[in-house]
Amino acid sequence: MDVTATLGAAALVTALAASVLATLASTVGHLRRQRALLAAGRRGIDAVAALTTVAVAALLYALVTNDFAIAHVSSVSSRNMQTAMKWASLYSGQPGSLLFWTWTLSLFLAAFTRITVPRIPWAAPHAVATAGVILAAFLAGLVFLASPFRLNEVPPLDGRGLNPLLVDPGMLIHPPFLLAGLVSTAVPFTLGTAALLSGRLDGAWVRHARGWALASFLVLSIGNLLGAWWAYTVLGWGGYWGWDPVENSAILPLLPMTAFLHTLLVQERRGMLKTWNLVLVLAAFALAVFGTFNVRSGLVASVHSFAQSEVGAYFLALLAITIVVSVALIVWRVPRLHAEADLDALASRETALILNSYLFVAIALVILGGTLFPVLSELVRDVRVTVGPPFFNAVIAPLLVLLLVLIAAGTVLPWRGGSSRQHARRLRVPALVFAATAALVGALGMHEPLALAATSAAATIGYVTAREVAVGARGLRAARAVSWPAALLGLLERDPRRYGGFLVHLGVAIIAVAVVGSMGYQQQTRARIAPGESFEAGGYTFRYVDLVARRPGVNGIEVEGLTIIDVERDGRRVATLRPGRRFFSNFPEQPIAIVAVDSDLRRDVYLFVQGWDAQKRAEIQVFINPLVAWLWIGGGVYTLGGLLAFGAVGRREPVRALDAAPGAASAGGPA
Amino acid sequence: MTRPPVRACALAALAFGALLAVALASARGVEAQTPSTPSPAPTAAPPRIPTDAEALAVEHQLLCPLCVNERLDICTLAICNDMKQIVRARLAQGASTEEIIAYFEERYGPHIRAEVPRRGFNLVLFGWVGGALAFTAAAAAVVLTSMRRATLSRARGFSGAPSEDPALDTLIETAEREEFGAPSNGRAGDGGGR
Repeated sequence: MDVTATLGAAALVTALAASVLATLASTVGHLRRQRALLAAGRRGIDAVAALTTVAVAALLYALVTNDFAIAHVSSVSSRNMQTAMKWASLYSGQPGSLLFWTWTLSLFLAAFTRITVPRIPWAAPHAVATAGVILAAFLAGLVFLASPFRLNEVPPLDGRGLNPLLVDPGMLIHPPFLLAGLVSTAVPFTLGTAALLSGRLDGAWVRHARGWALASFLVLSIGNLLGAWWAYTVLGWGGYWGWDPVENSAILPLLPMTAFLHTLLVQERRGMLKTWNLVLVLAAFALAVFGTFNVRSGLVASVHSFAQSEVGAYFLALLAITIVVSVALIVWRVPRLHAEADLDALASRETALILNSYLFVAIALVILGGTLFPVLSELVRDVRVTVGPPFFNAVIAPLLVLLLVLIAAGTVLPWRGGSSRQHARRLRVPALVFAATAALVGALGMHEPLALAATSAAATIGYVTAREVAVGARGLRAARAVSWPAALLGLLERDPRRYGGFLVHLGVAIIAVAVVGSMGYQQQTRARIAPGESFEAGGYTFRYVDLVARRPGVNGIEVEGLTIIDVERDGRRVATLRPGRRFFSNFPEQPIAIVAVDSDLRRDVYLFVQGWDAQKRAEIQVFINPLVAWLWIGGGVYTLGGLLAFGAVGRREPVRALDAAPGAASAGGPA
Repeated sequence: MTRPPVRACALAALAFGALLAVALASARGVEAQTPSTPSPAPTAAPPRIPTDAEALAVEHQLLCPLCVNERLDICTLAICNDMKQIVRARLAQGASTEEIIAYFEERYGPHIRAEVPRRGFNLVLFGWVGGALAFTAAAAAVVLTSMRRATLSRARGFSGAPSEDPALDTLIETAEREEFGAPSNGRAGDGGGR
């Protein structure tokens, strides 16, 4: 008997029992009004978190101690793997990633049960029961269909090792963020479902959901950014976003979640969009389940879908149940979901936020359609087609440009609108900034209308954001007689959500410019040269010095072939890069690229070797990618903004909540 | 709720639709431009060595037949290296990009095309895109219309609530007044419409 495997499997079975008990106790406790049962339900969720943690610890222990009796361990790890890399083995492969997913889910839901459930007595049993059902669904899959603790009949002497694509330090952080991001959509979903079940559908659930939605948005965003970075530095195709089905699955839940973060403002302040907000959180979770199903089942085969599985049908059923139950709940509660206010003016912040959320949904629908169309084509006509970057870029790019314009417009337009004279005054300078930027970059040689519009919209976002901050800071300065820096900090302290949000917008604008630059102005050159020879590309000279072999002797790497290439410009050496290829002992058919990048604020020089012959004559690809560094800088600004916005969570209820007096602000008077 | 001002809402819907249309029209522009480099080789030209840029332009429109979503120019499988040789040979013979793609399509199937052709069953995909955009635009228009309050006549003043802090709101309001001038009719902080 393998003690570790028995312990882990026992922990999972017990966790499944605990999750079912949590649901039953909450339901019965609610119906019979028994407090003890309700408390037991909450403890049940804690127990699930503790037990799945035990299971994860058991699997980690098995990985570290090379317990190849366990099938998962022998399929994703080997003796010469570095201990740190074994962390990536934990969540690679079917059962491992499902365990990691369920573990993260249990941690999120346990935190939710401890932090938020005590504050929502009106829906506490409903929330705990929902959490229990979600946990039970995933634990059942884990226990009955894809147990990570299955044993090999004959334990091998050594494992197969990690999939070559995953042998990369980036794999230590990217998948955990992404999986946690997908999982985190469960908390707003649980709150929304609990609100629907309990029947209390005013702003309360939204107030409690916003912190969790922000967390989910942030973790998902970081996961996607890290994914882009990983794709750029590991996959070796010169880009960071390939509209791969798995990438699409990862970004899909982020779209309704982002829309929800914006429309919840409208519900908080105006009591509008109640149904819509529920639809958004339910859709975000359904899309997260879809993403898991898509990746796990290998339905839409892709570079990521190395996990071919038996759990496909199960997840499809879960997805169907999620959608049917969500729709049914909303239809059931529609009579209670009427708005408390009407729209005052079309040209208002509310309108911009509503249009923005519809745009996010449109983008999500288009991406979903493009992701699923190959499946449809194969089912209906038995013809495989590929829906890839040309389609998505053509269809999504204009929608993203529209989104940028809406960000700028939404920042300028006031809540509840105003007179048209006022609008004119507010819009005059931003419009000028837009036109001036368009003229400037047009004169510099950018003629593609979408690129021009995106760049100009980004500049306008920069301007209107700076103006909003400056106006606020000026007000604070005038009232408190403080310095500019103190005023800026004061703004952030007083309303972290607003000013953190602005910073996120700024990050988006920077990312937009980086995308325009790197996608629209990428140069690609290919050369076959021998050591000692050189070639020119993008104004640089690439001198191929030599081909060397390196044997790190860890992580299943047999040998790495590295070309040494001097990059020169105007006779001066800029960098020495070492792109190459990495070969694995257990995956001889799957060598991977070692990408070498020299990055500065203007451009990346990105080198990638396709192969070489016996005379060391190598085929080298060069990409000159403008502005890619700004993608990561923009990502940093975006993340910082998201983190700062957390300052608002839990510190104070929103002042202008639905139940607060709407005229309160005027009562304050100038200090 | 009183009668919605149909005209204003129709205008808003139209504006949103027009934006979408402009965006989509310009999307076609991008697509026409994306194969940034050369036009297909002249058909009757004598055999010549195609440039790397010409070969890359064709390879960008082809995918590896074995991998999924892997562009031909990037893929390092043996089959792809063979395909690249064929691309060069065909270009040298004067074949056009479309002829070369059609040749590979016949050999390996339609999934080697990087771009989904806009014909036949594939139009379902484009119909979905158009439908999704039309649906969301229409839904937005309907929602805005039904929420729109008829009391347009009353001019409104400053923003309802820029921030979450009443004191900060007041300060911002004062600063905004300096920036954008006085409102025509005071601030609309009365919570009307409840």
